[in-house]
Amino acid sequence: MSADLIQLLVGGVLLGGIYGLAAFGLSITFGVLNVLNLAHGEFLMLGSLLSYGLFVGLGINPFISAVLVIPVFMLLGVFFYLLLLKPIMDKPPHQLLVASILVTMGASLFIEDVTSFFWERPVTGISYSLPPMEFSGVVISSTRLLILLFIFALACGMQLYLKKTFVGKSIRAIVQGREGAKMVGIPISRVSALAFSIGMALAASAGAFYVTLFTVTPVMGIPLTIKYLCVVVLGGLGSIVGSVFGGLILGIAETLTAYYWGAEWSPTIAFILLIIILIIKPEGLFGAKK
Amino acid sequence: MSRGGKKLFYSVVLLLWAFLAALPFLGFSYGVVWVFLLAVYFTLALSYDIVGGYLGYMNLGHASFFGLGAYTTAILLNQGFNLFSALPGAMLLAAAFAAVISYPLFRLRGAYFALATFGLVSLIEVLTNNLRDLTGGSGGISTPPGDHTLPSYYLVLAVAGGTMVLSQIIARSKFGLALFSIREDEEVAKAFGVPTTLYKGLALIISSVPASVVGGIYVWHMTYISPESVFGLEIALSPIIMAMLGGTGIMIGPLVGAVFITLVQEFLWTKVPYFHLAMYGTVLVLLGRFMPGGLVRIRWIRPFIQRLDLGEAVDYFRNVDAERMP
Repeated sequence: MSADLIQLLVGGVLLGGIYGLAAFGLSITFGVLNVLNLAHGEFLMLGSLLSYGLFVGLGINPFISAVLVIPVFMLLGVFFYLLLLKPIMDKPPHQLLVASILVTMGASLFIEDVTSFFWERPVTGISYSLPPMEFSGVVISSTRLLILLFIFALACGMQLYLKKTFVGKSIRAIVQGREGAKMVGIPISRVSALAFSIGMALAASAGAFYVTLFTVTPVMGIPLTIKYLCVVVLGGLGSIVGSVFGGLILGIAETLTAYYWGAEWSPTIAFILLIIILIIKPEGLFGAKK
Repeated sequence: MSRGGKKLFYSVVLLLWAFLAALPFLGFSYGVVWVFLLAVYFTLALSYDIVGGYLGYMNLGHASFFGLGAYTTAILLNQGFNLFSALPGAMLLAAAFAAVISYPLFRLRGAYFALATFGLVSLIEVLTNNLRDLTGGSGGISTPPGDHTLPSYYLVLAVAGGTMVLSQIIARSKFGLALFSIREDEEVAKAFGVPTTLYKGLALIISSVPASVVGGIYVWHMTYISPESVFGLEIALSPIIMAMLGGTGIMIGPLVGAVFITLVQEFLWTKVPYFHLAMYGTVLVLLGRFMPGGLVRIRWIRPFIQRLDLGEAVDYFRNVDAERMP
């Protein structure tokens, strides 16, 4: 029983790490641009499919493709930003909100429909695994452990980048105050494009791991985006530690729900968590009180 | 604002309604089905607009009221209730649901509110799929058979007309003014004494009522629904796209949008079997990119709309990019 529970927890933590990584990308995009990217889950899906393609076509292992997708999706992110988001950034707040929801939602529907048209087999998964490890009766897949380490390293690297480098500092400056950042001479548009592409690359990189553990369908983008929203609200808007913890909580909760009540109930838990946190602590676990 | 424009508008609307009411007797049986669906979508778009346009909160979960109404009506009809006791039941349930859900959800703002309400639809879809004993699960639910084409047609026309009146009454009342003020600046509205939490909840409840009633009529007409058909992406998004395309926050916007989109569906989509969602997506992107104010706020259309005297709502998107449209 307890071995079962530990295995469940490990699975939950891993799922949570993937959620946290992608949710952090969403959070950084929102913080810098003030735009909630509803197409975020689609990029995870595309990252998964690309990594799957690389694995099947060229035999590249998912750890390498998780790194390979980063530059590809950063480039894609810059294009997405310049083409769709930059033109609407100067609108007054309410119009920016309406326009950004329309644009990102539209892009999300478009990506989903086109992908499911060209992706004939709806369900895919990578059968990549390393020999499992055993600690006193608890069997832990070493693939999962490695993935967790990789995600942890990526999150730490991201944190260092934001805290120590000049560009990272300017990203945080924009999060704190757009006008102020503009006043001290930060090139808002360029840094925004960079932040958006980092967010997308993180999602795609999380997608490369997602496909090693779960099946991927072209229609999973929007439900995933809703899960990231829960993670971001759970952890507190704009907090890195928050989104990692929120991801862990959601991942563990989903795994436990699936185990005890059945897999068909696990999609509901994210929304229930969202409602609970909104009633108890609307600013999130790690959010600053307004 | 000229009086003449207003009179003209109301007489055109009345004439249109009279024509639609006479439609079944003119022998357009296909037209009746088409207008039925148009009226369903229009009612959804217009009732969405009470929250989405007047209050300024994008409620992407409006279809959950429609689906709740449809499922409640179907279950009550199967229990032996007749339509006129089932519809109020559906209405009450949807209103109660809206009241309960408004408290946590209105703590979110902007895009977060939009995404959370969108999650609501999929939550209820999962629930209807899982609660098989009550809802029939993913296989859907059937109601007692019978040809209700004509009565449901008149009912839905009546509900659509009622929703137009309701929307107009709200737009001209003090309550509507409070909703507009929340849309413009919630903090300032609160400072001026608008009970924002109460009014936001009320707006959501009011907008849930027509949606649930129309859901009930829809299932009565169709005699079969599945979770996919009442909570799916197309039914969840198309009323909102209609309201956005026509122009939000003004009654005529959803009307223009609904007619436009159903016409496009009728003449274009039946010929292209693929990429319907992708086309919706493209419309959304173009709308957001070029004219978030909608069709009625395009520069050369706006003066006509203003002369109809439907309130000051047209001026609300004052610097819309529609100005820059070629």
